[in-house]
Amino acid sequence: MGEDKYLNELKSTTEYTGVHPQKFALWLGMASMTMFFAALTSAMILKKGDFQSWENFRLPTVFMYGTAAIVLVSVLMHAALVAYRKASFSTFRALLTAGFLMAIVFLYCQYIGWSAMNAIGKSITGNISGQFVFLISYLHGFHIMIGLIVTLFFLFFAFRDRKNPVYEMNNTVNPKRLLHMELLVSFWHFIDIVWIYLYLFFYFNYQ
Amino acid sequence: MHTATVDHGAHSAHGHDDHAHHESSWLETYVFCQDHKTIAKQFLITGMFWGVVGGLLSVLFRLQLGWPNETFPVLETFLGKWAEGGKISNEFYLSLVTMHGTILVFFVLTGGLSGTFSNLLIPYQIGARDMASGFMNMLSYWFFFTASVIMFASFFVQTGAASGGWTAYPPLNGMRLEAVNKGSMLGFDLWALSMTLFVVSSLLGSLNYVATIMNLRTKGMNMLRLPLTIWAFLFTAVLGILSFPALLAGVSLLEFDRLLGTSFYLNQIVINGNLLDYKGGSPVLFQHLFWFLGHPEVYIIILPAMGIVSEVLSTHARKPIFGYRAMVVSMMAIVIISFLVWAHHMFVTGLNPNLAAVFVLFTLLIAVPSAIKVFNWIGTIWKGSIRLTTPMLFAIGFVSMFISGGLTGLMLGNSSIDIQLHDTYFVVAHFHIVMGVAGFFGMFAGVYHWFPRMYGRYMNETLGYIHFYITLIGGYAIFFPMHFMTGLPRRYYSFSNFDTFSSFDSLVVFISVAAIIVFLAQILFIVNFFYSIFKGRKLEGEYNNPWGGNTLEWTAPVARLHGNWPGDIPAVHRWPYDYSVNGREFTPQTTPLAPGEEEHK
Repeated sequence: MGEDKYLNELKSTTEYTGVHPQKFALWLGMASMTMFFAALTSAMILKKGDFQSWENFRLPTVFMYGTAAIVLVSVLMHAALVAYRKASFSTFRALLTAGFLMAIVFLYCQYIGWSAMNAIGKSITGNISGQFVFLISYLHGFHIMIGLIVTLFFLFFAFRDRKNPVYEMNNTVNPKRLLHMELLVSFWHFIDIVWIYLYLFFYFNYQ
Repeated sequence: MHTATVDHGAHSAHGHDDHAHHESSWLETYVFCQDHKTIAKQFLITGMFWGVVGGLLSVLFRLQLGWPNETFPVLETFLGKWAEGGKISNEFYLSLVTMHGTILVFFVLTGGLSGTFSNLLIPYQIGARDMASGFMNMLSYWFFFTASVIMFASFFVQTGAASGGWTAYPPLNGMRLEAVNKGSMLGFDLWALSMTLFVVSSLLGSLNYVATIMNLRTKGMNMLRLPLTIWAFLFTAVLGILSFPALLAGVSLLEFDRLLGTSFYLNQIVINGNLLDYKGGSPVLFQHLFWFLGHPEVYIIILPAMGIVSEVLSTHARKPIFGYRAMVVSMMAIVIISFLVWAHHMFVTGLNPNLAAVFVLFTLLIAVPSAIKVFNWIGTIWKGSIRLTTPMLFAIGFVSMFISGGLTGLMLGNSSIDIQLHDTYFVVAHFHIVMGVAGFFGMFAGVYHWFPRMYGRYMNETLGYIHFYITLIGGYAIFFPMHFMTGLPRRYYSFSNFDTFSSFDSLVVFISVAAIIVFLAQILFIVNFFYSIFKGRKLEGEYNNPWGGNTLEWTAPVARLHGNWPGDIPAVHRWPYDYSVNGREFTPQTTPLAPGEEEHK
């Protein structure tokens, strides 16, 4: 896929840094989301220091299965991007769908995990140690929901025009669509890495 | 229907003539517009609306404080049950101070100030067609607008607007308990929802500002040729990106406590003799999260004003900015240190004194870059050909206010003094002068200075002078006496039941009278602003540079043009502060260096 006309003009008329402005904006957004989860986990560390009120427990195993699912989401999304770049659009559609479904599997694992927490007496209104798991995983789940909604749009457009003869050409020569795919996949990688960090954080703090 | 030619699809660096134009509807042009100039005006007008509302609230609570035993029957006509018999109720009083703080800090001095000038000036001054993402920019405004509507709606719910302070501390705001605090009911939920949307708006805007500045500068516009306004907006955006999420996290925990029954901030609460089912939480945790944003927020307000003032002082004194690099490094230092001082708001929470000493150290350290900036502003106008235009007056007023308020910051930064002065009118005086009045002065300087750029007309100078002198004298009249009210606790509904405070009675009345006069003086500004949009003196010619400025915005045509410049974007050849050098009064950044001429280092 050749250089975008837009990018060429950008380079010739500006002090171009080599990064597309929208990609740069997404990176900044990731920095912001990192601060959000850093604030939440810092709050948890602060509370854990209060030994009088903190009750330790073992994190339900199903959260580990969820973590495996989210790693798969990243792999599938990345593979979808690679297929898109190679203009293998039927593979792209299959992989994007699989990634979407795997993200739903992740959310389902989280749901089972929350139920398992309740089963061991760690409800959302129980001890503060359990409350933090609910809070942080809910808020992470909210980010996953946003990712799912945006991916749904991509799926809609991927399937809507698949029988249109100009569909392939449109996708092949349209770098704007590639950029959007790259942004989507970057978001998924980021939010997946956030969960891996959160899982390890919980795992080592609830030993 | 009125139509205009606007291209929304292709933005940024295209040659303007390449644009594929299409006819846009009135709605696309003036409402859901993606053009940075229109969005700047939307932020400004919304900010002005909030300025009036926030100011009116202060007039209402100053009436109560100044004349606590008097009745004002007209108030009942407008406020109904909140002012029965013409006397403001104590619950409504608490809502007034809470909403005054929220509105002024976030909706006027953050959204109104940074939203307006970042949008207006970033693409113009770096030489870009528009923001990196016009769509995100539009979303940023409409999130702000929705947040505004929700915050305003909270005044009209049955239990009243939020009343637990603009800092939203738990436990007062951590439970929905009407018996404790009516404002903790729906009013606070709306407050929290509105603030969440506000944070989203701020983040969308900030991401765009940084991406635009870093990626879309015109040829020749390297970082050391950026005007100080742009540096200020860049640092402000970075601060917002890194600090607002902490507030969002704090408010998320708060809403979990309120709506889902968790106890992150609550522990052993007793109401009417009954122990509530909360245990293990800590309200101090919220203070840590809140002030991790709250203190950088002070700089989110003041940095854009500093940038504006630097630009205005240099332009109207016809002198190069003094110590450009020192100004940039100072701002960078302020940004870094501002993340390390949050607990100086928490010296009375039982903070470990050794830890407090660290926060004292960093708090006092931040005075160094602040003082560098003050010295450089004075150095800039020293022996300059000063033109006392309205924007220049407000810029000088800013410096005056920043010095006055900054000095008391040194006192309050010291924990041993702060513990004595905490929650007294001394603190009210400090932060109102250093970030409230100073922030407004920066904003006024910017509006008067760039009004010709926005509307192609001048504002009335005579009205501007009157506005300035009343606001300057009135601002000091309100807040200077408060320095002597060190024993008087803030947020009290009335002091008439305490004999010990009666010595302050006449001073409190004086302050209330001054506050009302200053509020009325702002009507002059609003009349001047709207009158001048339609009837102000027009700029002459197709291109006009009313103040003789060097920056790129003055090279764009007066007419509203999407893409800012017809044809190519001008390239930049020099820094923006070549005033009164080489025999020229001013030298625009687009002027190539003459043979043998060296660029300012």
